[in-house]
Amino acid sequence: MKTIIHDLGDFYDTLFKSKCENVISADGKYAPCQGCFGCWTKHPAQCYMKDALQMACRIIGKTDELVIITDNYYGAYSPSVKNVLDRSIGASTPFSTYRGKQMHHTLRYGKKEKLVVYTYGHITADEEKTFRYMVERNAINYGFREFEFHYLENVNQLEEFEL
Amino acid sequence: MKTVFINGSPKKKLSVSSYLLGIVRILTRGEVVKEQVRNPKDYERILSSIENADNVVFGLPLYVDGVPSHMLAFMKEMEKFCIEKNKHLNMYVVSNGGFIEGCQNKPLMQVFENFCKRCNSRWRGGVGIGGGVMLNVMRIMFLVYAGLFLLNTITAGINASFPIFAEQLLVVLFFSLGAFIYCLRMGVAISKGTDCGVKYTRILLPSFLFILAADVFFIIISIFQGGIFRGWLRKK
Repeated sequence: MKTIIHDLGDFYDTLFKSKCENVISADGKYAPCQGCFGCWTKHPAQCYMKDALQMACRIIGKTDELVIITDNYYGAYSPSVKNVLDRSIGASTPFSTYRGKQMHHTLRYGKKEKLVVYTYGHITADEEKTFRYMVERNAINYGFREFEFHYLENVNQLEEFEL
Repeated sequence: MKTVFINGSPKKKLSVSSYLLGIVRILTRGEVVKEQVRNPKDYERILSSIENADNVVFGLPLYVDGVPSHMLAFMKEMEKFCIEKNKHLNMYVVSNGGFIEGCQNKPLMQVFENFCKRCNSRWRGGVGIGGGVMLNVMRIMFLVYAGLFLLNTITAGINASFPIFAEQLLVVLFFSLGAFIYCLRMGVAISKGTDCGVKYTRILLPSFLFILAADVFFIIISIFQGGIFRGWLRKK
């Protein structure tokens, strides 16, 4: 199963939906994570906030390949995309283990195949380095076996991509 | 000299970020302003206090290896504001993550370094702390021990109660020592207007013991909140 998270608006949302079964449009019409841990300790794998992201962790947890398309914010995801990721920690459990020789949470849905991140917008050499490192760390955190990071000079390139 | 402390935790009370910023403030001289970013309504107020500031200190939690989403949105507004007003600030960051290794804060520090370049500010350094939640537990333990000390002093006298309290205090202090030292050093650097470098520290506990403590912590919380009875670790 493949999931796409993007912050490109309606046109691309329709395009991606014609190519992929799970598309999360990061349109910002949802609240940021409040850090309550309720998705671990109170109502597992579910957020207490009843909006579009209430069950997002279940989709992200079950996916084999996660494709993220995001604007670049200082070598990190855009706020609306980061919001989706912040609200998805229920894809792991509150228990901890070692992964990549460091402490991480155990995975509710097990290991996944591949994390692919495309970023667009103006980016400096340092930001590109930071972003690649961030994606590498995220791949370990989410339990992806491999990761890819690409910079898109032009978002239109996506129209030809086999996502 | 004016320093604005921006708490990036979404929590209203008992956030580790505000606790750590409090420690940085101990040795920060000059005018000090405390702010918290929780939603876009806060932007205007915070930006106006930055307008005549010299230093900005961010205190924030680590969310999925990076900056929490609501802070990223604020940073974009702050970048626009700094460029428009031609502000050149000194910037410092204290971040704390749930995992024990302090170096897991590294991507977040790099994001802030990149942010400084974009808004013509000077990156003065940061402290990345591992095991942040336990700092909070230590803070609560301190209050519990202080209460017990008071009770013991009334019933058995200070000679009997003080040695016990002193020992408990030292244990609590020891675990948080790395965080305390680097935060205090940051306060000194802010007062002098110098760099404090990027430092990573943690709760001073071996990771396997920390993992054990974290697991016990979550079991207890999950019993109280009922998650343990609602398919706690099941695929949903």
